[in-house]
Amino acid sequence: MYELKICHLYPDLMRSSGDRGSLIALYKRCQWRGIEVRVSNISINDPLNYNDYDIFFIGGGQAFEQSIIKEDLNEGKKHEIIEAIEAHKIFFAVCGGFQLLGKYYRNSSDQETECIGALDIWTHECDTRLVGNLVFEVDFLSEQDKSLRGFENHSGKIYLGKGVKPLGQIVTGHGNNGQDGHEGARYKNTFCTNSHGSLLPTNPAFTDHLIMLSLLNKYPDFQGLTPLNNELENRARTQGDG
Amino acid sequence: MKILLHNFRIGMAILITKLTIFFLRLFGRGATTLPGKIALKICPSLFSDLSDRFRIIMITGTNGKTTTARIISGMLNQAGINFITNKSGANLSSGIATTLVSSLSLTGKSLVRTALLETDEGAFKILAPKLKPEIIIVTNFFEDQLDRFGHVYATLNSVKEGILGTPESKLILNADDPLCASLGQTLPNSVDYFGLADDVYPEDYIKASSDIAYCSNCRSRYDYSSNSFGHLGHYKCPNCGNERPQAQIECTQVLEYDNLSSTIEIMIKDQKIAVKLALPGLYNIYNALAGAAAGHLFELKEDDIVKVLADIESGFGRMESINVEGRTLKMILVKNPTGFNQVLEYLLTQKTSCTVAFLINNKLGDGTDISWLWDVNFEILPAMQDTIKSFYASGTRAVDMAVRLKYAGIPEKNITIEKNMQELINSMIEASKENDTLYLLPTYTAMLEIRKVLKERYNLKEFWE
Repeated sequence: MYELKICHLYPDLMRSSGDRGSLIALYKRCQWRGIEVRVSNISINDPLNYNDYDIFFIGGGQAFEQSIIKEDLNEGKKHEIIEAIEAHKIFFAVCGGFQLLGKYYRNSSDQETECIGALDIWTHECDTRLVGNLVFEVDFLSEQDKSLRGFENHSGKIYLGKGVKPLGQIVTGHGNNGQDGHEGARYKNTFCTNSHGSLLPTNPAFTDHLIMLSLLNKYPDFQGLTPLNNELENRARTQGDG
Repeated sequence: MKILLHNFRIGMAILITKLTIFFLRLFGRGATTLPGKIALKICPSLFSDLSDRFRIIMITGTNGKTTTARIISGMLNQAGINFITNKSGANLSSGIATTLVSSLSLTGKSLVRTALLETDEGAFKILAPKLKPEIIIVTNFFEDQLDRFGHVYATLNSVKEGILGTPESKLILNADDPLCASLGQTLPNSVDYFGLADDVYPEDYIKASSDIAYCSNCRSRYDYSSNSFGHLGHYKCPNCGNERPQAQIECTQVLEYDNLSSTIEIMIKDQKIAVKLALPGLYNIYNALAGAAAGHLFELKEDDIVKVLADIESGFGRMESINVEGRTLKMILVKNPTGFNQVLEYLLTQKTSCTVAFLINNKLGDGTDISWLWDVNFEILPAMQDTIKSFYASGTRAVDMAVRLKYAGIPEKNITIEKNMQELINSMIEASKENDTLYLLPTYTAMLEIRKVLKERYNLKEFWE
């Protein structure tokens, strides 16, 4: 019997538009295969030991909420998160959670706030929000699964440093900054995206990729996932905007 | 000369607006927003010019605006006050301009003094300082159509800014919503609060969602002694002591609670009244309290308030019931996670066999992002497998809705995707039996579409009437 432990970071604060959909997808696709899965909600003042978990998940949040968690991060969680990422734990971060992992956030009046510095990325606030449907291609999934579909809504333009690869290349939408054709970020087993809500539910091959990586981390002799019927999810993924 | 020209502009605006309304109606169109758009083009200062001709009551907030407006309409009628109001969810500047201008005579005199205006939270910021309402009612703040408004705190700040421009307005605020109550705690306006007393929820009440809010003063996590839904409840900040304000209009008991109505006890200042509220669900108790607070300000007697609340019917599309081919068809608008959760909670009170259809569009009027469906707690639906026989997904985002249901634990074989709304109705009728209830839960533009279908098939009345 396989078992995975998911750490949901700041679920009561970092939870902008439907981000928990991606967590539900991870959870259900494990459950449907008989993989025991436990989700722990870790928020303000809760202790965190990165070794207790296999998958980390953090959603997006607004400035008010981010200002609350920054203090808490500095009281110890920051180091646990950096250790987790460096130890090849599976880490999935959305929008505000993505930006938070970077070096700094510069707002439109040029004030910089330090972020936790786990990834070599940084964010500059821009005046117009980057909003709309997002289609991008990743290089770690098969030909028929590599095109992912989501919805972006962010006012930060994100830039990647040398050690960090983009999660994928933009086909439709703005992605990280609307300039370099990059969407999201990838470093070791950390996957970051600007896409809210239904990214993992409607891109089942990506979800399974994350589950498989976490099982391989924990069970080196793991033989591969039982296939599931993805007809409905793929229909949602490949539908037009209509 | 300047004044003369200005008056001429207002006059022109009135004349042309009235003509536009006349022609649009002649051709069978709704005429709820276009005339106002034209009026504002001709006379951009229209709102400030008209403010002293009306006694204005404004309702804003995320959920419950339309139903609260319905209840307050009842209160005004009962008090014998003539009034105009904007209908059909025409709650942006253009819709409100249409409403105000249509009640003016050609010489610019207001024939009716009182205007009850349901106002979009985004439009409120600009409108409130110009219209200087006598009363402002704020229902609550929840996440709503994120891609249009930015975020819930941006919405709160926008409403706050609007009220800052009109310090004389009397506020009616939801005490149980810490975001809403913070307006009364930081602004100089006089306030009446409404809310539910501590832990008065019905016995078998199942919560679909529960959120903790953080203190607006010091950012600590509030302690809740009770929680009705979302982040509403009795909260107190353990750090700075900021807490739910005392409510002047309070529901002190829920005596009966089912899928058609609830019987509650309300304290208004020092008077206790028992009310049979002809609207189901806890969220409607909040709407009723807001309405009672307004009724109290109009100096209605307790008996009159009781009568209005007992007689109320729900607003446009918020909850409609018609009989079709031996089945009861109920339609309830869904537009954001909290409202949707309330509707699901309401479904749980359904004891007899039913079919449920979700009609999800992602057009501009609905919000183009459907991510919010993942914040709705559909996970409570599998518990209803004995009553809900089948689920339908319709609208432009039918497939995404079906995926959502699948991940909530509904077996795929119980989910039918039917994008065509004619076919949807056919299929639902065919798959059900006599006396079943058919629920239609549409987003805003999907509601307009399905109403059109129902109107043609079953002769539903025009929505702007």
